[in-house]
Amino acid sequence: MSAEAFVLNLLNGLSYGMVLFLLASGLSIVLGLMGIWNLAHGALYMVAGYIGWTIAVHLGMNFWLAVLLGAIAAGLIGLGIERGFLRKLYRQVNEQVLLTFGFLYILTNLSLWVWTGRFRVPFTAPALAGSFIIGDITYPIVRFVIIIIGIIIASGLWWLQERTRIGAIVRAGMDDKEMTMGLGINLDRVSMFTFLLAAFIAGFAGVIGAQFLGVYSGLGLDMLLPALIVVIVGGMGTMQGALFGAVLIGLIDAFGRALFPQLAMFTMYLLMIVILLVRPSGLVGRRI
Amino acid sequence: MTIAELKETMRQQPWQVLLIRFAPYILGLIALVILPPFFSTPIQGIWTKFLIFAIFASSYDLAYGHTGLLSLGHAAFFGAGGYTIAVLNLHYGIDSLWIGLPLGILVGALTAVVFGLIALRVLGPFFLMITFALGMLTFSIAWNVRWLNTPGMQGITGVPLPDLGIPGFSWSTISFYYFVLIIFLLCFFLVYRIMNSPFGYSLRGIRDGEPRLRSLGYNTWLHKYLIIIITGAFAGVAGVLYVYYYGMIVPAHLAIGTSFSPMIMVILGGSTTLLGPVIGAAVIEFVGYFASIFTPERWPLILGGIFVVTIMYAPGGINIHLSRLWKRLGERYGSVKS
Amino acid sequence: MEALRVEGLSKDFGGIHALSNVSFSVEVGEHMAIIGPNGAGKTTLFNLLNGQLSPTSGRIYFFGRDITTMPTHRCAHLGQARSFQIISLCPNLTVLDNTLITLHGTKRSRFQMFRSINADTRLLAKAQEALSAVALWDTRDELVKNLSYGEQRRLEIALTVTSEPKLLLLDEPGGGLTSAESADITDMIHKLGRDITVLLVAHDMDLVFGVAERIIVLHYGKIIADGAPEEIRVDPRVREIYMGIEENIENATAS
Repeated sequence: MSAEAFVLNLLNGLSYGMVLFLLASGLSIVLGLMGIWNLAHGALYMVAGYIGWTIAVHLGMNFWLAVLLGAIAAGLIGLGIERGFLRKLYRQVNEQVLLTFGFLYILTNLSLWVWTGRFRVPFTAPALAGSFIIGDITYPIVRFVIIIIGIIIASGLWWLQERTRIGAIVRAGMDDKEMTMGLGINLDRVSMFTFLLAAFIAGFAGVIGAQFLGVYSGLGLDMLLPALIVVIVGGMGTMQGALFGAVLIGLIDAFGRALFPQLAMFTMYLLMIVILLVRPSGLVGRRI
Repeated sequence: MTIAELKETMRQQPWQVLLIRFAPYILGLIALVILPPFFSTPIQGIWTKFLIFAIFASSYDLAYGHTGLLSLGHAAFFGAGGYTIAVLNLHYGIDSLWIGLPLGILVGALTAVVFGLIALRVLGPFFLMITFALGMLTFSIAWNVRWLNTPGMQGITGVPLPDLGIPGFSWSTISFYYFVLIIFLLCFFLVYRIMNSPFGYSLRGIRDGEPRLRSLGYNTWLHKYLIIIITGAFAGVAGVLYVYYYGMIVPAHLAIGTSFSPMIMVILGGSTTLLGPVIGAAVIEFVGYFASIFTPERWPLILGGIFVVTIMYAPGGINIHLSRLWKRLGERYGSVKS
Repeated sequence: MEALRVEGLSKDFGGIHALSNVSFSVEVGEHMAIIGPNGAGKTTLFNLLNGQLSPTSGRIYFFGRDITTMPTHRCAHLGQARSFQIISLCPNLTVLDNTLITLHGTKRSRFQMFRSINADTRLLAKAQEALSAVALWDTRDELVKNLSYGEQRRLEIALTVTSEPKLLLLDEPGGGLTSAESADITDMIHKLGRDITVLLVAHDMDLVFGVAERIIVLHYGKIIADGAPEEIRVDPRVREIYMGIEENIENATAS
């Protein structure tokens, strides 16, 4: 592989990885705190992407407004799912997972209905269009921006996790629910906030990620699967785990596609199985 | 009251009560045997498809409803059975039913043998994920391995209906339907037996309290493993019939979407019951068919909505409500010694 | 003849020493109680004896046989039966179903997949016998979760005994029961034959002194006393633990 190709793949892997990180971080914390796999997480990403497209391209409005509205929409939908449905199935973990699967299905088909199945061309903010030229490499600015945004958000979330009171509460809740509740903390409200934040970030990722991943109705599943792999491999419950896993999977995906396209998918699922057997809490996750 | 006296009172029940208890089964059987020829050919196809998925759903319920094993990978067993038939046809020109069906069941069961060994090493939420990963792994195998694909396309097409080895016999839609019906009835009977056997009871015990079952002497790992293999075998049957029905199979049949179907049928119809999965399959297939004519785009959405509503507000499925209705009828006709 | 012998048993949970160097033996037919403050390691000990956990070090011998690493279901086949601190009957199954499942546990028929569970009339008769003895035969078709707590406890103990075990491990059998119900349990244990060895974990001192011929006291995972009930009653170390707890409560409420 030439040096240019290497750098290209590296950047592709990192930018894709950042989008995965945004998704996986929320998925991971919700899993750690509430014990649920939110299978609708990818669908939240997708809906935000559609809304973002509508605002930015269809209505021609400001790109960052689109990002904000997409994130808010995803957050609200997530809140609705949590308040209206998930919390009523208190402690029935199997049913909760099935429910989120149901919402994935509903949101996917709802999107098909509203926006029809046409493959949405990736849309780019005017400010982010164009590419850098470094030496022989032409690289889209957008991807760079995403990597930087990802790092900023990752730092912010890490700070939230380690240095704030709410982060400490969430971590305590993951370790020992009863004890935390016994300390008088309203874990119910914390869970709701966590779920909302996770959905919001997923929505944010949906509009940003659409820049180079596009928007289409199959995204709900297509983004969920790698996010699941990231959570398992990287480790659940921590930002570090999500970041580590996301970068790893992103790089495997990018280099895999370039070097052995057929094996990339296979490798990732195999990796997932091996991790589940050997170290279920993930490579960098909380020890459960 | 001694056991003998108990059996006496059961035998003395007024025939009306017994009739009402078994009526659903009798009516169902009559309907399945008599009705289909009166419908048009496409609808006969739907009857067939419904029976195939009823087998698939019932087998899924053995693992999910009875044993509490929520998995996202059983499409792999289904696909394994189907691909067996397809590969036999594609590479070996073998179309005989007497080779295909047993082999398909075997391959389905063997896939489960492997899956079970891996998946049962982890518990709870990780079990769900590992079955999902295993399922997608087989999907990627089916996608990538050239031997499993007709040259030039994804999947295998052009699979004919099975060769019964009877000279001069050729299939029609209705004759294929009755063929599937026979297999369905066989599977239904087997599931019924398993459900009511000591083994079946132990599964429900494991679902509700595994540590206790262990302390009673049950090797719970082995019981779970066995039921996974049984599920695999039945799913393999469904897969075989499915490929005969459609004449083709694609890698997507091994993916997570196919795992969704029996799940929703079981939830809708009512899990942990004999008729539940069958009712669920009937509703999904028949309503789905008509919906696809009138509102093809909205049907998946409606289905998703029904799924969510059922989970939230009617966790027992259709079956619970129907059986309550039936019980009330039974009580009207005399003292019901349950 | 020793029914049970425990040598140097220890169990660590990542830094927490749940049990440290516990050794004792129990004769066949002996009724022994294990007492101690919460967290002393009593349930951990049961879990080790029953094969639910593996010890960090030490050995367990059951009728002379090393069962240190034997899994739970095999312990059951060797003749152990156990009741749990938190009632763990199957709540969504009927009383009769729970009974039948219990009865099949140690029989080959538990792998039977084709005959109906009701076909075995001998086991049905046994179920009737067991349930009638605790006046639960008439409620046999009731779901367990609909029974009162006392009835569930009674059922669980009855089922634990019904498999004719050699060693009975009762974990807080009187937990949550009224004194009348507890007295029933005491009676039930007295009625057991001399072949059955009984190990009892309990906080209810009436139950303990009503049943036990010997008492072991656990504290922070160590045995601090082992002897006849009268000895334990006056043992200064035991008094110190329980008194110490009382004193702490007194101090706390005083200040």
